Amino acid sequence: MPDTSSKAPAAVATPRPRRRRRRSADWEGLLYVLPAAALVIVFFMIPLGMTIWMSLHKWPLMGKPRWIGLDNYSRLLGDSDFWNALGFTVQYTLAATAGLLGVALILALMVERPARGVAFYRTAYFLPVVTGFASASLLWAWLSNVDSGLFSPLAQTIGLTSEPVNILATFGPAFWSVTIMVVWKMAGFHMVILMSGLQSIPADYIEAARIDGAKAHQRFRYITLPLVRRPFALALILCVSGSMLAFDQFYIILSGGPQNQTVTAVYHIFNESFVSFRLGYGAALSVVLLAILLVLSAIQLRLLRDRGETR
Amino acid sequence: MTRMDNVLGERRTSGVSLEAVSKWFGNVKVLHDIDLDIQSGEFVVFVGPSGCGKSTLLRLIAGLEEVTEGEIRIGGRDVTDADPSNRGIAMVFQTYALYPHMSVAENMGFGLKVAGRPKQEIAGKVAAAADVLRLTDYLDRRPGQLSGGQRQRVAIGRAIVRDPDVFLFDEPLSNLDAELRVEMRIEIARLHQSLGNTMIYVTHDQTEAMTLADKIVVLRGGRIEQVGSPTTLYDDPDNLFVAGFIGSPKMNFLPAEVREGAIRVGGHPLPDPGLAARLAEGTRLQVGIRPEHLRPAEPGEPAMPLTAQFAEFLGGTTYLYGIVGEGLDCVMEVDRSVDTKQGNQLNVTAAPDDIRCFGEDGLRIR
Repeated sequence: MPDTSSKAPAAVATPRPRRRRRRSADWEGLLYVLPAAALVIVFFMIPLGMTIWMSLHKWPLMGKPRWIGLDNYSRLLGDSDFWNALGFTVQYTLAATAGLLGVALILALMVERPARGVAFYRTAYFLPVVTGFASASLLWAWLSNVDSGLFSPLAQTIGLTSEPVNILATFGPAFWSVTIMVVWKMAGFHMVILMSGLQSIPADYIEAARIDGAKAHQRFRYITLPLVRRPFALALILCVSGSMLAFDQFYIILSGGPQNQTVTAVYHIFNESFVSFRLGYGAALSVVLLAILLVLSAIQLRLLRDRGETR
Repeated sequence: MTRMDNVLGERRTSGVSLEAVSKWFGNVKVLHDIDLDIQSGEFVVFVGPSGCGKSTLLRLIAGLEEVTEGEIRIGGRDVTDADPSNRGIAMVFQTYALYPHMSVAENMGFGLKVAGRPKQEIAGKVAAAADVLRLTDYLDRRPGQLSGGQRQRVAIGRAIVRDPDVFLFDEPLSNLDAELRVEMRIEIARLHQSLGNTMIYVTHDQTEAMTLADKIVVLRGGRIEQVGSPTTLYDDPDNLFVAGFIGSPKMNFLPAEVREGAIRVGGHPLPDPGLAARLAEGTRLQVGIRPEHLRPAEPGEPAMPLTAQFAEFLGGTTYLYGIVGEGLDCVMEVDRSVDTKQGNQLNVTAAPDDIRCFGEDGLRIR
């Protein structure tokens, strides 16, 4: 607007410095997010791009990678080992998620309100979370050892079984043993998430429901549960994605046994990539697993979506 | 009235009585031996400064807090240890406590739903209550999409649908702006008129108490200071606290002394208030006179000199703020003919019946 500026210089003169200030504020904002953005780019975006790039190659450990387009993906469709592993992973995810969230919710309800000794219990329930997955698995492998462990000799000593029982030798007990270990180790973490959700429900709602004549189970069903939906969704997504990526516990405790029945999807990817050194194929499997996780998370977010209520 | 009959099947209302009710929180006694009788159909307001125990008292009646000592009866039935849902009460919370994840209709019908009543009956009662409270157009909305006044009406609607014997209100208007507060106050009064239920209402606002109540219970420090109708409390307060708490602007309190057979403020005699017993010479006391009872004195009448400081013109009335004797603040209601210029000297007095005397212990001398 060249001619208006000459007529009303004052009116035009004021916005100019303000605009400049805003633009510099934009750059300043970018500066602040730069460290976080750099981390995401270096440790997530670039490896993701490299994985996708690798998945389009036949990529041996030594020798030159060769471009093979989507061959890895078409091969994957017929790879019954992968689909079996994925099937087992889903089975484990269902069991672990149900166990984890169920136990976590019960623990959260137990330690939600301030009372004598509650801090001790909160700490006790959370303590297993801070042990590493590998150390917890090693501990569990030892406890489950048929000769020198705890469970089998203990069961024998108190007369539960007449002879040693190797719980890691058959699929059923082995699977449930690992699942219980994971519940023991991770329930405290989800407990904290759900507890914070429970604590953010105003006491008024529960009191109003008491006056409305709602029994304890009705208050839980109609008031508490719907109002912890958001933290519950967070716990659910963390739980499902964590379980879909399960590896350490099955590798350390069971080594995929008995009869390779406890090989998870990641375990299979690990075998393909770092045992058989088919790095390109392993990358393709990883990409597929990522896609599955993305879809799962999207579905969960949609199912548990907030329907626009405000307090 | 007829619309309300759709909401309430049959009219039953109950009185509430408290007998020597005490409440301890840990080592702190917050309510001291409360005795109170509330007649069936009465509108009772608990009023007092914050921390006086009025909300705790209401929560004891609701059953949300446990009674430490004493007994509560509703409709003649001992409910001291009864569950809130079995007391025949409904409560409107200060925060409304509307369930945020439910629609207005679901909020109002929740009590009936958990009681396992048929859907049709619930819908009918909710619709009738919504009609009374002008909420019909909002039944599908969620509380978050409503204004403060609408939320308030939903909270009242939820109480009505429960068809209680006794309504409990816990500072229901304190989250509304001034204009809406007056509007809702009138609405609640109208509701009481048409429902005829016993209502117990907690507020710290003496105007709300005066305008709504059949009976006011003034509380301080966990004790009942006085119980009575608004006019009783206004005309005949038992003590300094009640006298100062009820009425706006506040009653003027002037330190006085009995000398030469007359009650004198700063040496100036007041008209004889006609006390039952003659006060001994030299007795110190507090004289309470409401601003609306002070008037310019006729020549020759016993009067106190008042120096005008500033005036508040409110349209119908003017409040003149001044100083009596040596630095005693005093407010009086004056009409426009009075010169309220700063520094202007007035001789003021009051009718003998309008002068209240309080002893040094704060109790009324009658």
